[in-house]
Amino acid sequence: MAIEYQPKVVGFLCNWCSYAGADMAGTSRICYPTNIRVIRVPCSGRIDPLLIIKSFQMGADGVLVAGCHPGDCHYTEGNYYARRRFALLRPFLDYLGIEKDRFRVEWVSASEGKRFSQVVSSFTEEVRRLGPRGIAPERAVL
Amino acid sequence: MNLAEQIRNKAKELLESKTVECVIGYERATDGLTARPLFVYEPEEVGKLIFDQTCTHNLVKYLLNRRDKATAIVVKPCDSRAINLLLNEKQIQREKVLIIGVVCPGIVETSWNQTSEKLPARCQLCRQHTPVVYDFLVGETPPTEPAVPKPYADIVEMEAKSVAERQSFWAEHFSRCIRCYACRQVCPGCYCSECFVGQLDPLWVGIRIAPSENQVWNAIRAFHLAGRCIGCHECERVCPVNIPLMLLNQKLEKEVGELFNFQAGLSAEALPPFATFQKGEKLGIGE
Repeated sequence: MAIEYQPKVVGFLCNWCSYAGADMAGTSRICYPTNIRVIRVPCSGRIDPLLIIKSFQMGADGVLVAGCHPGDCHYTEGNYYARRRFALLRPFLDYLGIEKDRFRVEWVSASEGKRFSQVVSSFTEEVRRLGPRGIAPERAVL
Repeated sequence: MNLAEQIRNKAKELLESKTVECVIGYERATDGLTARPLFVYEPEEVGKLIFDQTCTHNLVKYLLNRRDKATAIVVKPCDSRAINLLLNEKQIQREKVLIIGVVCPGIVETSWNQTSEKLPARCQLCRQHTPVVYDFLVGETPPTEPAVPKPYADIVEMEAKSVAERQSFWAEHFSRCIRCYACRQVCPGCYCSECFVGQLDPLWVGIRIAPSENQVWNAIRAFHLAGRCIGCHECERVCPVNIPLMLLNQKLEKEVGELFNFQAGLSAEALPPFATFQKGEKLGIGE
């Protein structure tokens, strides 16, 4: 019996908007795929590209970064810096052989529970479509 | 008067007048063919200084060990951009450095006592034959900088490949990496007192011998130089297993140029791309 492929998705959510948005989805009983493993970070500006590359190394099929909408950052400008960083990281991942669609950045506010669910659903489907990473990532031994 | 003589005269003058404590330049290595770095402290020693097409090293890295000491340094145009980078990042003080810029004829590659006939590809594509920053210029400034029709030809070629092809390309190259960190040691932009790769907790890059660990190291090394790599090709030169590291660095250079219209090391004042932002900019992220 074949086991259906379930993509592993790592989600880095900013504490102030997107994590609260995920909470909102939960308290509103809105369903979203369980493929996502949520990691709460203080701000999208806190997310070092190292964390993204490390996630892929340790076997993630997709990485989602979600933060406050531009202009709404709790720390005023963290997400603007993050936006620049990830705008460069995305083509670079593609260049290294990790399809750029495996990495997505979205802005989700604390009230957008519904949107959070839509983002996670559509991203999981995208990653499912891409399938497992070409070269089997080694089991992490960290 | 040839280039070396001009450098010697200037070095002598600077050391005799005690304007600087040390002149960093090149001397002939013991193999009689290649060049190696030379630190001159005494005016009598300036005779050892040379300059020709074998002087490949980027000496700017050594300024980081002499932050508070007045130093003169011989730089080629690509190396001179590293000085701007370090000034920009407040690593060195302008008044402590005296820059002897050399109008660069392009360098040659040497291996196994053989000197290449042709200029390496990067020198053929060079658009900067005069240093971007200098106090004293050696050599004749060319009237115009040559036009380079296709600056990123090899990058465009890589981009045209499929993702799977690129993945196996890098997997193959990174699998050879022995993580000697020579690329980091030689890089003027890599001066952190503690590198992420040296941290034990969290252990970002594991100590086991594994291609994926090599991949993390090489990807992050390149990304830490995004918008900072000045293109001296030293990392590639010192790599003992010949990983085409400049293919990574130049990809980032190209993207930074396209996204933020920025080139590293051209000015000591310009804000680096990741230290600033524009609120309304459209970067294709989260839109």
